[in-house]
Amino acid sequence: MRDSISVARLGIPAIALVTEEFWPQGDFFAQSTGMPEVPRIKLPHPVAGTGEQKMAEVAADITPSIIDLLSGGTN
Amino acid sequence: MSLLDAPTEYDALEVLHELGCTDGLPVVIPTPDRVSRMVLATGFDPGLVLGVMGPLNGSATVEKVCIAAVMAGCIPDHAPVVVAAVRAVCQPEFDLTEMQATTHCTAPLTIVCGPARHVCGGIASGFGALGPGHRANASIGRALRLCMINIGGARPGSSDMALHGHPGKFTYCIAEDEERSPFPGLHTSFGYEPEQSAVVITGAEAPHSTIFAGNADDPDSAGKLLQAIALVIANPGSNNSQLRGGSVSVIMNPDHAQVIAAAGMTREDVQNELARRATISVGTLREVGSRMIPHDADVDDDDLLQVLKDPSRIIVFQAGGSGLYTMVMPSWCAGPHQNSIVHAEIELDQACEVPGMGDSPQQSMERSLN
Repeated sequence: MRDSISVARLGIPAIALVTEEFWPQGDFFAQSTGMPEVPRIKLPHPVAGTGEQKMAEVAADITPSIIDLLSGGTN
Repeated sequence: MSLLDAPTEYDALEVLHELGCTDGLPVVIPTPDRVSRMVLATGFDPGLVLGVMGPLNGSATVEKVCIAAVMAGCIPDHAPVVVAAVRAVCQPEFDLTEMQATTHCTAPLTIVCGPARHVCGGIASGFGALGPGHRANASIGRALRLCMINIGGARPGSSDMALHGHPGKFTYCIAEDEERSPFPGLHTSFGYEPEQSAVVITGAEAPHSTIFAGNADDPDSAGKLLQAIALVIANPGSNNSQLRGGSVSVIMNPDHAQVIAAAGMTREDVQNELARRATISVGTLREVGSRMIPHDADVDDDDLLQVLKDPSRIIVFQAGGSGLYTMVMPSWCAGPHQNSIVHAEIELDQACEVPGMGDSPQQSMERSLN
């Protein structure tokens, strides 16, 4: 979340990928860093360690949302 | 019970600090009314002796234990767990007197299992369960410590000779994450039924973090996880490695426990595998100047020695948030019983409803089941 916010502050489009388990923490950071509307996409938890196939499926699932957000959508 | 007089609670706190009755932090003043309410919550007679706590050999009556519980910030719901914890550490196998007096930093780690986790004030088992921030965990562990100070007489530098202590000597209490765990409740390993509640307690150092990133594509992911944990257990500087025995606590986060479950391993499998893998070479012991090297003439530097002789003394359970870290708590490993694991049932059916405080723990449990 911090990385995403820092990059966004530089004027570079950024989307934070946050797993379900860490979504509340994402909310907290978004509020505390003064960017409550920072674009975020929710991932299943866990992603790390689940293997290449599972991670490829997650990536495929969220790619349209990433493109949509980067195109000005609100997801 | 003798009573102290003070004009205000602020003055009373200063008196308790001056008498050495605190852990250094502010306490709730144990007024007769507060203590009476805590005693009522246990359901026991205030004079009932739960055990004797060394090195002072003070009698741990229900009333004295409740004084400590009030001071620690417990609410009456926590009382049955505190009572069970005191009963557990007063068992001779725990070597409480020796443990309180040693120069090692050992502290009782209280693991709460069974329905009491929910009905005794909500004892945390998830993110940050070892603290800070969870009232029940903080208060229950602290109550046991205040019993050890005020009933057992452990005072730093005079009777408690721990060279440095460690933060877990303020409070060290965690619940098992039974609902998400692939393992049966830890208390069932000690003969309890799943629907019973119990504390499992062992002397423990501070948690040592073990990082591991699982990989579902690796058929030996579980083996690598266990190897990482075993290497932390076999840390050459620990008492377990040098004295070779004692107990070790392993708190797996949900992701690591899932790696184990995916490999089809049980808790017993994990215990056996960790005991097999946690070894230290004679040469390593020589390098670190250990005097605990077998004197056999035919011992070579390459010979491996098992750090833990008894797999059942490796406590394995799930707690904590989801992520990369498992916690390993080595132990003192000394005393007549070499740091035994003790346990005691949390008796929820003894507790009384405290006026103005709602249901007793037993009533809460029955309500949740209906």
